[in-house]
Amino acid sequence: MKIAVCIKQVPTRDWQPRVNDQKTWVRDQDAGFELNEPDAYALEEGLRLKEQHGGEVVVCSAGPARVAQALREALARGADRAIHVMDDALATADAFAVSEALAAAMREEQFDLVLTGLQSDDQGFAQTGPILAELLGFASATIIMHVDVQPGGLRVKRELEGGWFQWVALPLPALLTVQSGINQLRYATLKGIMAAKKKEIRKVTPPAGVALRQRIVNLYAPVKSKQTQMIGGSAGEAAKTLVAKLRDEARVLS
Amino acid sequence: MPTAETWIFRILVLGFVAAFVAQVTTRARLAMRARNNIAIDDGETGRRLLRVLTEVVFQSRTIRERPLVGFAHLGVYWGFVAFAGYTAVQFLAGLGIVDLTGTSAFRIYAIALVPFSLAVAVGMAGLMTRRVLVRPKALGDTLSVESVIIGGFILTLMITFLLEFRLDHGVAARVNWWVHAIVILSFMVLIPGSKHFHLVLSPLTIYLRSSELGTVPNLDFERDQVGLEALKDVERKQVLDAFTCVECGRCQVNCPANATGKLLNPKRLVLQTEDALLAGTLETKLADIFDPGILWQCTTCGACEAQCPVGIEHLPLIIGARRGLVSNGEAPDALGAVYNHLERRGNIWGLGADQRQKFVQAAGLEIFDADRHDYLMWLGCAGAFEADFQKALRSLFGILRSCGVTFGVLAKERCTGDVAKRTGNEYQFQELARANIEDFRAARVTRILTSCPHCLRTLGVDYQAFGFQAEVVHSSVLVDGLTRGMLVDGHEAVTLHDPCYLGRYAGVTAEPRDLLARFGAQVREPARSGDNPFCCGAGGGLLFEEHEEGKRISQERFEQLQATGARTVVTACPFCSIMLKGAQASANAPVEFVDLMTFVDGRMKRSGRQAEGVS
Amino acid sequence: MILVIAEQQDGVLNRATWETIAAAQQAGGPVTVAVLGADTAAAAAELAAADVAGVVRVDHEALRVYTLDGFVGSLAALVAAEQPAHVFLPHTYRTRDFAPALAVRCGAPLVTDCVGTKAQDGQLLFVRPVFQGRLLADVAVGGQAFVTFQIGAVRADSVVRGAVPAPVRTAAAGVDAAGIRQQPEAPFREAKQAVDLTQAERIVAVGRGIKGQEQIALAQQLASAIDAELGASRPICDAGWLPMDRQIGSSGQTVAPKVYIALGISGAIQHLVGMKGARTIVAVNKDPEAPIFEIADYGIVGDLFEIVPALIKELQG
Repeated sequence: MKIAVCIKQVPTRDWQPRVNDQKTWVRDQDAGFELNEPDAYALEEGLRLKEQHGGEVVVCSAGPARVAQALREALARGADRAIHVMDDALATADAFAVSEALAAAMREEQFDLVLTGLQSDDQGFAQTGPILAELLGFASATIIMHVDVQPGGLRVKRELEGGWFQWVALPLPALLTVQSGINQLRYATLKGIMAAKKKEIRKVTPPAGVALRQRIVNLYAPVKSKQTQMIGGSAGEAAKTLVAKLRDEARVLS
Repeated sequence: MPTAETWIFRILVLGFVAAFVAQVTTRARLAMRARNNIAIDDGETGRRLLRVLTEVVFQSRTIRERPLVGFAHLGVYWGFVAFAGYTAVQFLAGLGIVDLTGTSAFRIYAIALVPFSLAVAVGMAGLMTRRVLVRPKALGDTLSVESVIIGGFILTLMITFLLEFRLDHGVAARVNWWVHAIVILSFMVLIPGSKHFHLVLSPLTIYLRSSELGTVPNLDFERDQVGLEALKDVERKQVLDAFTCVECGRCQVNCPANATGKLLNPKRLVLQTEDALLAGTLETKLADIFDPGILWQCTTCGACEAQCPVGIEHLPLIIGARRGLVSNGEAPDALGAVYNHLERRGNIWGLGADQRQKFVQAAGLEIFDADRHDYLMWLGCAGAFEADFQKALRSLFGILRSCGVTFGVLAKERCTGDVAKRTGNEYQFQELARANIEDFRAARVTRILTSCPHCLRTLGVDYQAFGFQAEVVHSSVLVDGLTRGMLVDGHEAVTLHDPCYLGRYAGVTAEPRDLLARFGAQVREPARSGDNPFCCGAGGGLLFEEHEEGKRISQERFEQLQATGARTVVTACPFCSIMLKGAQASANAPVEFVDLMTFVDGRMKRSGRQAEGVS
Repeated sequence: MILVIAEQQDGVLNRATWETIAAAQQAGGPVTVAVLGADTAAAAAELAAADVAGVVRVDHEALRVYTLDGFVGSLAALVAAEQPAHVFLPHTYRTRDFAPALAVRCGAPLVTDCVGTKAQDGQLLFVRPVFQGRLLADVAVGGQAFVTFQIGAVRADSVVRGAVPAPVRTAAAGVDAAGIRQQPEAPFREAKQAVDLTQAERIVAVGRGIKGQEQIALAQQLASAIDAELGASRPICDAGWLPMDRQIGSSGQTVAPKVYIALGISGAIQHLVGMKGARTIVAVNKDPEAPIFEIADYGIVGDLFEIVPALIKELQG
């Protein structure tokens, strides 16, 4: 099976973002970057499918030069080669622009299966995968917990709300967005890291003239920040206050 | 004109010596083809020679903990050495080269040997009784027939020696002489293939032993080194170790994993290596020789290595084999998760740096400035994230401030890489180390203070391999120095759990005790303490493994501490504290844990004393 | 006009649909609600109670069961016909599945997971969280946009009801049934043989503060009151009061529920790393210095044997 895994390099999860002067994006010059964690689960799934069914795993990403580091991390975990769509602007572009760039680079490879994570830790659009499917003309399904390969296609387990699941059959070629936590992520082994140095990263320039369809005009910190709210009073009073806050503030109770 | 008897003897000696040399050559070849990991040009020659004196000549390690056995062995050993001249003279005579047996010097010498022969005989008799009748666990479940034979040989040699005085001439005397000679030759031929090879090899392995406990040199990635995967990868020192093992079992009985019903047995690992090397199939994977599951039961406490009387270094073998597994992606799942945490967040729990920042702010810590601060205070992963240890650190900060010692912390810390190093993820360890050293150099750090013995070892010893030299000190040592002049009354009964990485690895045993005595505590020593403590079970990556075969190591140690009767357990390591508190929680016992710094700080405050200033 | 796409399954409307209608009403201008299915009469009548300009029914056998291709094809045709200024949807699992492709098909951007809208200089901006909610972004679009709203961002009960029922009409389905590539089977719930706390949305966890096995029943009552799973810290499982598959800890199960209520748990690091992913953490503990309060969103210092019964009463009352 020829499998592609689309990954994104994002600022590390514990980095405190600070807004730039124009308030249109963050100042990330001092940020550390890492492979987007949801994509790591997609990569793990891709590697497992290759181990079971043979084929190759090609990891693809779009963005500036620093993205190569995330691609190397993926190669160190077992991906066979990589495609890097080089463009500084793609780091902050919307999902559609990124998907267009990826689709242009990936189309002629004729992948059987494309995997992506659910969403990225920075923008969090949760769209790149499904848009890519539409652009490539692949059948798709999202929030996948399990993949079974069948003759001519796949049977995948979708996660639904409230503890419900659903199996869906679809033909190849297909694109799936993979739910986080469905497998145990492998770590980069020494041998993998050594081998990765010799694996190919093909650099591609994106097509010109992809207009952005949405843009951020103002970026700011939300009013409330994460502070522990200590609730006092008698047992009855505290209980009342807590339940109200869980219902209205945290919105975790219906 | 040499007699027929002489010629027969010459031929026999030639044959036996050839057999001896052949066996030694096989083993020497195995050692010489192995990669050389022996580094003795480290300026430690003086210390090494001293070690040979104390451990070889004076048998310090065999006598320690097993005095009766040790002295018996000392008698046998010195007897052997004393007899060397005697045997040489007898053989020279037998080979027809020169006969000095008639000289008065020889006769005096022989008489002088009598007490030695008695020492040997009595010693051997005692050791044989122990081996055959007492059957201690350390010597294994099955009786070693070879050892019994050798024992018989030695006794025979002493008996034939003493009989020489009785039998002057005649057939009986010749027979006695021949029995003695044949036994010696037979003994000689058995030496290379038995544990008695240590006669030849152990002074060498003791001399060659690394200066620091648990020395496992960095892998050289430029040379594609990935760790020990197959038998052919086992390095020279470990090959010599395999042949020098005397099968005494000190490593086995001191191993906390072995003591709690796990299959890990350091002695067995060494002997399995020896058997496999001699079997000759060097391509065999180590995973086929020892069950990998067993390798992951090691806490790297170092008790095995520290006890070994013949200089065997078990840890490079275990950690080397772990490296081979980890390089191939075969680390246990719990550790795989830790490696991902280290890669992403730079700490063992995968927590965010903002949490550390909260503590730094709440504790009023300054950012390290080389021009203003005496020490870089290294918090470590536990210091950054673990609430109980942070309380201990606050006590330490209080003590330092009241003593006028200035300190600061780095704005950002990443793990020293201790867990990566001990579990065999060498790549990650080197990445973390290099990055940390760069930060240290940029901040001009020369003195580091830490309350975590694992950080102490990693920063102070393991980082030297990268050319990083700094004065790294544990809080107990610094605070002991600062409070020398103080004295607080009291006889509170406490017990002290020496952390393996502090008491055994770093040899810091006096300072915690001095501190406790100085501040009104009476230490009731648990069963194993000082430089041979019983591990808490956290080391070697086992902190993260919730499933354990047999009895939990932490529970065993907790029971040992409880058995002292003291209601307070003093700890000096965040991980010992986590493990032992966990054991206590499961046992629901009324024992209080207090970090050494908290104890001292509390007593200092109570007595209103101040220290006399910065040392 | 804002077109709201309602979500229904077997005739039952998803509650989030009302939230989306409220969001559309708050954004201003006329609102039309569309509902897809095989027989949407009842659902449409329900929707007509809202203060909207109209309800559109799109009925087709191929839409009885949700499929990505079926819904995208059908909605693309509907959007082309209705020509709304914007299309609002709830950010449900189903919407996340089809909305991106739908937006591409219609040549419009999709702005996902919004928590609100605001009007600025005559244009409608959409507010969405970025960087895991650390920042909020006001997003502008040039023309028609598809917008999904975070579940619970807008209160369903803020929907304005109409004085009279809105007019209901039907529209052509525009479905190419033969072109649907997905073949879904019936949704199911997993049989509860083993406890899988990693999937639980709500967890009530007990620690040593529960003092005894008999008292765990109290925690179970609280769990039942909020339809939560019961979890525990290691000492509870070590003592055998709860089975090992309920243990939450570093190498045991790591959980990420929406709400985690820790009763009598001090917050030792081994436990913390197992549950720090919870969205909202509530801690009840006698000890005000317990480390768990460092990471809790809400904390109550007190006797859990008084607090928990009060909570249960408040939840049931």
